[in-house]
Amino acid sequence: MATPAAVDVDSPPAAESPAVGARPGGRWWAWLLAAAAAAYFYIAPIMLLDSFQRTLATVFMFAALAQGWNVIGGFTGYPSFGQHAFFGLGGYTVAVLMAKARWSFWPSLPVAIVFGALFALLVGMPVLRLRGHYFAIATLGVAEGLREIVSNLSSITGGGAGITVPAVGALATTKYPGNTAFYYLFLTLAIVSTLIVWVIARSRFGYALRAIHQDEEGAAAMGINTTRAKTAAFMISGAITSTAGALYAFQQVTVYPDNIFSVSEFTVLPVVMAVIGGTGTVLGPLGGGVALAFLSEWLRRHYTDLHIFIFGAIIMVGVIFLPEGAANSLRVIRTRRRLPFLENVRRYRL
Amino acid sequence: MSDISLSVEPGSILGVIGPNGAGKTTLINLLTGHLAPTSGQVLIDGKDLSGSKPWDFAHAGVSRTFQIVKPFRGLSVRENVAIGAMFGPSGQKSVPASLEVADAVLDRVGMQGKAGALPSELSIADARRLELAKALAMRPRLLLLDEVMAGLRPQEIEPALALIRSLRDDGMTIIAVEHVMKAILAISDTLVVMHQGKELAKGTPAEVTSDERVISAYLGQRYAQRTREADSA
Repeated sequence: MATPAAVDVDSPPAAESPAVGARPGGRWWAWLLAAAAAAYFYIAPIMLLDSFQRTLATVFMFAALAQGWNVIGGFTGYPSFGQHAFFGLGGYTVAVLMAKARWSFWPSLPVAIVFGALFALLVGMPVLRLRGHYFAIATLGVAEGLREIVSNLSSITGGGAGITVPAVGALATTKYPGNTAFYYLFLTLAIVSTLIVWVIARSRFGYALRAIHQDEEGAAAMGINTTRAKTAAFMISGAITSTAGALYAFQQVTVYPDNIFSVSEFTVLPVVMAVIGGTGTVLGPLGGGVALAFLSEWLRRHYTDLHIFIFGAIIMVGVIFLPEGAANSLRVIRTRRRLPFLENVRRYRL
Repeated sequence: MSDISLSVEPGSILGVIGPNGAGKTTLINLLTGHLAPTSGQVLIDGKDLSGSKPWDFAHAGVSRTFQIVKPFRGLSVRENVAIGAMFGPSGQKSVPASLEVADAVLDRVGMQGKAGALPSELSIADARRLELAKALAMRPRLLLLDEVMAGLRPQEIEPALALIRSLRDDGMTIIAVEHVMKAILAISDTLVVMHQGKELAKGTPAEVTSDERVISAYLGQRYAQRTREADSA
């Protein structure tokens, strides 16, 4: 049958489904690059300055946060704006267990991870019934509410004055492990969360999430238990994010509600990283997280007064000229042989 | 919708017709868990599924198409169809096994060459076929078709009818909601006419089209006259 609309798809080699067949894994060279970078970063601290290790640890943390958001926002299409709830919850779980219950860090960490997942389950049950903006606002509200609760439960959390992890001196439950240790912990977290996303992308679960993203009613009609899949995705996202928060609290030693429950730092920034890198892809959020976290650090150092302004301008340019993120733009260039940079300009008449 | 009761014999095609707003799509939504009945029951193989979720219906062997097609836009045609095999009743198949099922189904509906295309690149006829292929990949025992002929050109309707007949001949039970009168008359074993949320008439296509109530409510006098003339000619 003559279907003019489909002709331009069929004429280039249609043999191995060029459009999307490549998605679940990305290209081998991208993976090789990522693996080489990971190997390099495992050896690198020997040659790096202490202060640069700290910068890199932050870069890896943001890559992990971007991946955490990617699971719920990128794959499932539920734009959570309450990721800082999980981040703060993970951080405060570790801080309270170490400072009040006098636990050491290592048993506190898995508790923080489990709390992150359970909080996602608890919040997800009502909130995952909402979609789009309503879901975004509800998650934001939950996170802001949690910060208020933490601020006001001074007997447990220390309230607005913050809480200090016992990491130095005779009272330390776990001795402060130093910048190199945190460098490795955050690097490992970034790699593990990327591997989790990679496994999801190739699995039936990943297809369920993408189907929910693209048409939830249609997904349910095809036998996907959408409630279960969405909740599981939110729990994975919450667990990754609370792990990052737990490491962060220990790294910072003292945490305050206003600092660890920061929406701009631990929700908006990871969202921007995932969006510019490419939501719903495996390597996009990793690349976006690393690139933007580096850029932000570099700008902060070289343009002390203007760095936020320049950073914001670069984000705007990135969002406009990389439709659906860098990873998806690269795929369009490779498979469709055209440059998509002006697509957003045309589509939205910018 | 009220006072409607219908059952469909395994391995037959039940056609449902009625004017706009008669409740045809509502009926399908009730039979697939997209709406829960306020009263009454939905039995699938004698098992009460009233109030169950859409995926429960899917797992019980019921699949459907949507009047407004619902492709997964970011997935290729092949992946769209594979989702049915991955999560359908026969399913819980692995991703590679599901993609193989998808290839076989695409073959059957005549879309072999479009496996790698994105849904946005399909013609209306192919988009409708994709909708059907997604449902078929679930290997349903009861298939509900919501206006699969809508928007097709006359020469595209005959192959679609042949495909639906061949599915019935394979033993599939089908409920087809349709606006295209000629199409529904050609394939239905039994026909139900709905009007304002109620069942107006039921019978073989011949019985229903000569029913006076059906003619006045839906078909119109002109249609009746035309068929009478055709009969006498």
